[in-house]
Amino acid sequence: MDPILEISGVSAGYGPITVIRDMSLHLDAGERIGLFGPNGHGKTTLLKTVSGLIRPSAGTISFNGTDITTLRPPEIVNAGLVQSPQGNVLFGDMRVLEILELAAFTRRARPHRADNLRTVLDLFPRLGERSGQLARTLSGGERQMLSIGCALMCAPTLLMLDEPTLGLSPRLKEELSAAIGRISQTGVPLVIVEQDIEFLMALTDRLYLIEHGEVVREIDRASTPDHDEVMQLYFGEAMG
Amino acid sequence: MKTSLLRAALPLAALAVLAVVPVFAIDSFTRHLFIIAFIYAIIASNWNLSLGHCGVFNFGHLTFFGVGVYTAAIAAKTYGVDPWIAILLGGPAAAVAAFLIAAPVARLKGIYVVLVTFAFGQLVMQLVLSQSATTGGAQGMVRIPYLRLGDYSFLKDYKLGYYYVALGLLVVSTLFLKLVIDSPFGKSLKAVRDAEDYAAARGISVSRQRILVLILSAIFTGIAGGFYAIYLRVASPDVFGFGTLSLALSMVLIGGVGTTYGPIAAALALTFATEALAGIRGFEEARFIVIAVAMILVLRLAPGGLLRLLELLVPKSLR
Amino acid sequence: METLLATLVSGLVLGSLYALMASGLSVVWTTLGVFNFAHGALMMIGAFIAWTISEALGLGLIAGIAGGTAAAAVIGIVIERFLVRPFYGSRAMLLITVMTTLAAMIILEKGALMIWGARLKQLPRLVEGEVSILGATISAHEAILVALAPLLLIAIWQFTVRSATGRSLRAVGQNQESAALIGIDVPVAFAIAFGLSAALAGLTGTLLGSIRFITPTMGVEPLVKAMIVVIFGGLGSLGATAGAAYVIGFIEALLILWIGLYWTPFALFLLMIVVLVFRPNGIFGGRG
Repeated sequence: MDPILEISGVSAGYGPITVIRDMSLHLDAGERIGLFGPNGHGKTTLLKTVSGLIRPSAGTISFNGTDITTLRPPEIVNAGLVQSPQGNVLFGDMRVLEILELAAFTRRARPHRADNLRTVLDLFPRLGERSGQLARTLSGGERQMLSIGCALMCAPTLLMLDEPTLGLSPRLKEELSAAIGRISQTGVPLVIVEQDIEFLMALTDRLYLIEHGEVVREIDRASTPDHDEVMQLYFGEAMG
Repeated sequence: MKTSLLRAALPLAALAVLAVVPVFAIDSFTRHLFIIAFIYAIIASNWNLSLGHCGVFNFGHLTFFGVGVYTAAIAAKTYGVDPWIAILLGGPAAAVAAFLIAAPVARLKGIYVVLVTFAFGQLVMQLVLSQSATTGGAQGMVRIPYLRLGDYSFLKDYKLGYYYVALGLLVVSTLFLKLVIDSPFGKSLKAVRDAEDYAAARGISVSRQRILVLILSAIFTGIAGGFYAIYLRVASPDVFGFGTLSLALSMVLIGGVGTTYGPIAAALALTFATEALAGIRGFEEARFIVIAVAMILVLRLAPGGLLRLLELLVPKSLR
Repeated sequence: METLLATLVSGLVLGSLYALMASGLSVVWTTLGVFNFAHGALMMIGAFIAWTISEALGLGLIAGIAGGTAAAAVIGIVIERFLVRPFYGSRAMLLITVMTTLAAMIILEKGALMIWGARLKQLPRLVEGEVSILGATISAHEAILVALAPLLLIAIWQFTVRSATGRSLRAVGQNQESAALIGIDVPVAFAIAFGLSAALAGLTGTLLGSIRFITPTMGVEPLVKAMIVVIFGGLGSLGATAGAAYVIGFIEALLILWIGLYWTPFALFLLMIVVLVFRPNGIFGGRG
């Protein structure tokens, strides 16, 4: 079977600056993969390239067997490939419920709006409590939930999460980890970018270590199940 | 070495050519076009000081010019001040106007700078319109006293005298601008434009700089305004309108924001181009459209201005 | 007392006009971060097209108003496509688009002068006769303007709050990247915002064309007044902009009563500059 997402030989960056070079990775059906590595080495750039926010200078990206390399973001979202961006303010001057309703914007997502909204509020009851509040008044954890909630409203068939735990307390991390686990159980494959290895190990089947804009190692959890070993690999690479 | 020599020699050569133009252009109309071009060159190059070198979105630059126009007109006609002095009075008057608007503008950001500087121009225009006893209101002022030098009359020499006065003003203005830009102050301007926070961290007062740069850019603009009034012998509120504003702006843009000679070259080229277009039947109004389109195209295709584009096209060996 | 009432009613007429103009500027500003200098010229084009359809072609005033509004919307979208969109993401986008829309204004004004000439034109009124409000008399046509303005403003406000398209404009204005990531087509949102704003300007022009003369420069004064309004109210929110428009309308009417027609514009601009010295984001200041 073809992989769900296949990234082959992709290079991309901002203007004249190349951030990622000749990257190749893939995601198979029902799989969850994690991308980790030091900050500023191209993980977010890769996600943005897949989402169509950045046009790659080389390589191809295919999703469910279709070439999406040159598609624009709304077309990619409409195809079911959805990214939840890093925990930023999203739309600060809009209300939480309003944002969630709006997020079911694509033709594909609109019919499922009511269902998905119920799922999101079920998953993150906190968002229901805050439904009338302006997004900029939310706490860091709530913003993260809203960001993931928005992505779910888009009715994703593949979900990419960019650093969902950034700046969260251990307790919140745990809560979020459980929620993401539940999303994964519904059968949505995941791509997670994360600094927190432990968090990543708990949620994914396979890891890619990304450094200096390149994939330097692929770690199969089946062959390297031990957390310490992965840490060793990571820091060994980072220092060496 | 060669580059800097050529860079220094080109303006001098251009000046030499301009100095002998009246010998060949003996009709007063051609000379008139040059005089108007010189005035616009002063406006555009001084505007470039605030807009290009300091990054202040000053849309009230033509107000400084208008203040110079009316100061000279009122001084010479109403108060009988010698026209030579009246021309020069345009400078300090415009500088005072610049100081008045600079104080609030220095604290503002982005679009509000555009709006307030533009509104300031409208304010001055409304003042001119409402004080018709002094300014002639919407009709403006006519029959303003002309220049004399001893017994020499500037009215009967086919504009030869005015030509050299205008050229002289442009030369002095350009030397003044070069002096400002090459000074430590001028270098700090660029620092503020390119990295405001960094400049502030280095102890450069951004507000004070903006105020100073607006005042400096107003001085020769005001003097040019004074000369404009004395030369044409009229003062009209049209100088505050969108038409003059966009023409001068297109010169800054087409010539190249942040360059020294670009706006001057563009002022000369555009003045003659618009005049040539005006000669074509049916193009009396269309020429403004042509300039507006040119402005858009330059922004789109050569954001550094045409002079930059030329530099890129000329092989390195020739530079 | 009677003069004061009459003044307040004329302030209401001015305020309605300014509110329609300034809210169009605000829609484009909040969505794209662009200040459209051609807004007044779009209004003027609306009036000329309406005149051509209604008077020159004799198709009636209603067809004229509809045609003028639609034509302005189309030109607005064209301006967005060719004069604004190429500069998205540029470092100096704000300044560049000020210049390109200024150029658009020149093109439209001079173009109108070439097409329609300098002779003064006027549209007939929607309804003849006069209406008495609080004992002050205004023409029935002006009364329609006064009544229509708040309705239109409420309609736009409801559009941006309730409809998915309207919400998408607000989302794009607040965070383009996040908007794109939930599937909003950002360039389409920009075009809608520009088209809506231009349609509003065009409609205002067609209504004003029955009250004032239609000339190529008829948009300048309303644009400048709308600029005062947005300086006063800030550009950030529709409500603040509309509120400021009425306040400015009343202040202007009162100033005309107190210090006369000549000094009023001067006093208004002076007031604005003083306001900005103390409140750099406007009196009702939203985000800059």
